[in-house]
Amino acid sequence: MQPLPSRRHMLQTASCGFGYLAFKGLAAAESGTLVDRPARHAARAKRVIFLCMSGGPAQLDTFDYKPQTGKKPHPGSVYNFAHHGESGLLISELMPETAKHADKLCVLNGMHADTGIHAQSFLQLHTGDRLRERPSFGAWISYGLGTENQNLPGFISLNTSRPSVYSSSFLPSIYSGTPIGTNGEAMEKATIANVTGDHLPLSVKRRQLDFVQVMNRAHAAARPGDAELDSVIKSMELGFRMQTTAPDLLDISDEPNWVLEKYGVGKQKAPVGTCRMSDFGRQCLLARRFAEAGVRFIEVNHGSWDQHKNHRRDLEANCAVTDGPIAALLEDLENRGLLEDTLIVWGGEFGRPGLTPGNGKNETGHNANGFTFWLAGGGVKGGHVHGKTDGTGARAVDGKVHFRDLHATVLHLMGLPANDLKYSHAGRQHRLTGPEGGKVVSEIFA
Amino acid sequence: MNRLTGIACLALFFLPNLQAEQPRISPQGRTFFETKIRPVLIKNCYECHTPEAKKLGGRLLLDTRAGVLKGGESGPAVVAGKPEESLLIQALRWEHDLEMPPENPLPETVIHDFVEWIKMGAPDPRTGKTQEVAGKSYEEGALWAYEPVKNPAVPKAEGELADWPRDSIDQFVLRRMTELDLKPAEDAPPEMLIRRLFFDLIGLPPDREQVKNFVADFQKNGQAAVGKIVDELLASPQFGERWGRHWLDVARYAESNGNDGLSRNPTFPHAWRYRDYVITAFNSDTPYDRFLTEQIAGDLLPAESDAERDKHLVATGFLALGAKPAKAMNNNFDMDVVADQIDVIGTGVMGISVACARCHNHKFDPIPTRDYYALAGIFISTETMWGPAANEKLTAPPTDLHVLKAAPNVKPPEGWKETVLVLESNTGKPKAIPKSKWAPGTPLAMGVRDKKKVADAKINQKGDAKKLGEAVPRGFVSACKTEVDIAVNPSQSGRLELAKWLTSGDHPQTGRVMANRVWLHLFGRGIVGTVNDFGVYGERPTHPELLDHLATRFVTENGWSVKKQIRDIVLSRTYQLSSIAPEGAIAADPENLWLARHTRRRLDAESIRDSVLKVSGQLDLTPADGSIIRHRDILINLAGSSLHEPSNHRSVYLCYLRNSPPPELSAFDLPPFTKPTGKRETSTLPGHSLFLYNSPFIIEQAGHFGKAVIAENEDEKERVRVAFHRALNREPSEEEMYRAIEFLEAVRAELNSEEKAWAGLCQGLLTANEFRYVD
Repeated sequence: MQPLPSRRHMLQTASCGFGYLAFKGLAAAESGTLVDRPARHAARAKRVIFLCMSGGPAQLDTFDYKPQTGKKPHPGSVYNFAHHGESGLLISELMPETAKHADKLCVLNGMHADTGIHAQSFLQLHTGDRLRERPSFGAWISYGLGTENQNLPGFISLNTSRPSVYSSSFLPSIYSGTPIGTNGEAMEKATIANVTGDHLPLSVKRRQLDFVQVMNRAHAAARPGDAELDSVIKSMELGFRMQTTAPDLLDISDEPNWVLEKYGVGKQKAPVGTCRMSDFGRQCLLARRFAEAGVRFIEVNHGSWDQHKNHRRDLEANCAVTDGPIAALLEDLENRGLLEDTLIVWGGEFGRPGLTPGNGKNETGHNANGFTFWLAGGGVKGGHVHGKTDGTGARAVDGKVHFRDLHATVLHLMGLPANDLKYSHAGRQHRLTGPEGGKVVSEIFA
Repeated sequence: MNRLTGIACLALFFLPNLQAEQPRISPQGRTFFETKIRPVLIKNCYECHTPEAKKLGGRLLLDTRAGVLKGGESGPAVVAGKPEESLLIQALRWEHDLEMPPENPLPETVIHDFVEWIKMGAPDPRTGKTQEVAGKSYEEGALWAYEPVKNPAVPKAEGELADWPRDSIDQFVLRRMTELDLKPAEDAPPEMLIRRLFFDLIGLPPDREQVKNFVADFQKNGQAAVGKIVDELLASPQFGERWGRHWLDVARYAESNGNDGLSRNPTFPHAWRYRDYVITAFNSDTPYDRFLTEQIAGDLLPAESDAERDKHLVATGFLALGAKPAKAMNNNFDMDVVADQIDVIGTGVMGISVACARCHNHKFDPIPTRDYYALAGIFISTETMWGPAANEKLTAPPTDLHVLKAAPNVKPPEGWKETVLVLESNTGKPKAIPKSKWAPGTPLAMGVRDKKKVADAKINQKGDAKKLGEAVPRGFVSACKTEVDIAVNPSQSGRLELAKWLTSGDHPQTGRVMANRVWLHLFGRGIVGTVNDFGVYGERPTHPELLDHLATRFVTENGWSVKKQIRDIVLSRTYQLSSIAPEGAIAADPENLWLARHTRRRLDAESIRDSVLKVSGQLDLTPADGSIIRHRDILINLAGSSLHEPSNHRSVYLCYLRNSPPPELSAFDLPPFTKPTGKRETSTLPGHSLFLYNSPFIIEQAGHFGKAVIAENEDEKERVRVAFHRALNREPSEEEMYRAIEFLEAVRAELNSEEKAWAGLCQGLLTANEFRYVD
């Protein structure tokens, strides 16, 4: 009998994307394992912490200073800004702690997106597509690079919302984000589903698993050629190891008080307007712990910055809740020597138009034509501003960066080919940067 | 051919001994050719290298696969798999004397594409024949699913396997096997077969007695015994719960809207009526044409009684269950609802993604935007009723509901308070609760009805409801032809005619798609692998004639009866093959495309939970009464995840909230139910094992299982036997017995607890691969 090349083999080899064939380690990628895979070119960062600020942070009152320019009042910043650090970066008074790290920040003031519709833009920020379910940013990176830690998933999303933003979609599901805290669940209780159980001591659980695995191996041996049975046997071991690794990482009681204090764990006592409870300090601390343990992509979430009706009150609350923890994270990563190969990304699905000083209004809408992101750490210039908006902050006019460009830039910094990390699905090649492709913003590289 | 097999990225493969066959091309290979290679050939090469060329260059034809491989004066243009040996590449690189195209070399990236293409084996679907449909040209066979269903002659096996086939299904399958030099595996032993039949037909394992009786009966009566047990299973109420669940996947059934994109997720407190309708329809074997008609146009059908009228109205819930995006700042909301309805008809019923044509002519399939808006006219003439949706106007603004007449009035429990919890988005304070227009307990149903004023839809340019083009008369998909033209009744929405068109009997897809779905659930893979996509870029059928045979049988002989169709298939010899095959046979066909053995499958989430409950002795086989949220019109994101309650009913009766699935099911690849699901994923994630190790559900059931085993017998070894029979339907081996007792003793020594020792052993059996993989 003539052996037919297997269909699975065929799909596996073909599905890694034709532009991607040159890369080594794809067999591993396709067998859906989470081995550590080498970067494709010199990587500037090994992991990403994405500080996702949902709702549309008001850039003109945080990082994109727009003073009044003429006699007639126009939309602009309504809070005071000052120069910070050696670089003299302009940061608003609402971010006093983050401002202390001005020299670490690379501010992108020329961000723009396709739509001012929250859900669509939020999806596009996460997946590159605003309409259809596609693999999330973190899933692509996990697919491209695997995980550094065999006992943990490659992509973790904290305080997250719906699966479409952390899903692996058509990528193998092992690259899917592991959610910790969804749908507004209290973060101090949030954990990986079923990661602990005290019905049996670990020693008995191990004995039980040994009993099962002998059966599983015999079962598989009697059914030769079934790769899935073998991979389940392996996955049962990863699950077993996660029982000991993940709870320790999630249990922050081993952190000294001053660290908890610095991160502001549990400090937020009540929601204010649109500013929801997110225990942002705990999220930032967990992000540091996961980063240290070798998780590739950690998303931290706080919302909502959608401060329509009471702009000042809600913006102040959002800044107050996130400013200290972010500063603590930057400082902590730096002290541990992790900042140089950890890329921090801060931003939301779009920004907001500015208030006009003196007209008594306190309401803002959405602005996808110009807004701000900032990056820090792994491979980007510190104390640097790239791109700008026009005089009223209405639209990006210079150094424009679209989400697909941001995606391309982050992939590149991670050592992945920005527009050639592909996967074939439903008859065509897909990539994070979409059919248009993204432009790597190399001007910001350190 | 052998030189191809070593190529790293083999995007096509040959079927041995099939001279006339075009090589099989993977969807990936096809796409690569269509997007990267063909356009370049047309633009840069066809001028001189087609038969139409004024002067054929170098006697080389590049417009067919054969031409490329045969080559011209200088020899073959392409050596598949070997770009360095391919003259085409040399020519494109302007190396040596060959410099093509003659004016200017192509960009390096394009040449690189050609190198990659040849490395893949130069997949090339061009046969020299093309057909024009809807202004596009297609390869021969690409539009197979748009062609009428044929009733192919049944082949007749010859030679040593002449007696192997039992049913015409087997004849079709065996012919393909013979062509490929494959041999069928052994028949499944009765112990394997009975477990497979139970899981496939009712989603539950047999018990010890049932296995024993069947094995004895089978040994005595052979296939008569199988026929008997199959009839029993098809008649059992558990059949509808299993197969109804398959349809609920297609119908993207859920009891809440799902996150609208702004983190609001209103409940659908009346959706469960549709679930019960579906289960009943499968149990009573409602013919599939009738089943579809009730779901698409139940409100337009005559009814003889209030109960029948209720049933018809509930069935239309099919069109109202979709996940809606937020209405806030969304001008396209109404058309988004229509898009979901077109999608569930398109992918769910026809296996064609019509929904792509909302914004532009379908990129691949012959579906122009006009067809989309012909269908859209039917749905904009339809009022879709999902109910108050928690009275959150920014999500899905409140609508009316069907008020049922015969269904009982079930009042909320004593002391119940309306729990509408909508918060003012600015202040965070609860909004006032609007007064419901119905008295508490009024039996209500989601669904559709015709609008008072019906109208044709105008094309939304680029899918934007603000950019209107011309109106398109209501109608159906023009590329799908039926013998009798069916025109929309101008005074109605047209749903009734849509149903008539879909169920006309000669509709090219309806029968095929459902026959393929039935096959999928019995074999683990459809004859068309992409069960929701029969389009140009979906997979081609592995057995096209068998698919048409099955579709014909389903529609004509079996009169759209799903039960009869299932019975025919499970009594075939093909279905009853062992899943264990010699290793060489697996290497020859790892994916089991050619069905020389049965495919081993992991149970889905529902069957895992139901089986655990059955094995632990806790399963409650009575259908659940309504839903735990039947009185709760609320935003579930504000209610928290506390809505789910433990239950011992079958999983189909759990509360399928979008974005907040039942915790006992969510671990095992439950789809999000926002789109029609054809084939469930079966991923391998550490989260599965964590669920088996630590979930409260498994721990509790392992405890019950252990206690039941202790109660059943005094003797330690007999208890182990009982446990194995309950979980795995077999005797433990000697070694397993030894190891089980060793485990029990060790746990007793460590924890000093008989119950924990048995619970631990029983949990182990529930965790074993053998428990959730069915041979």
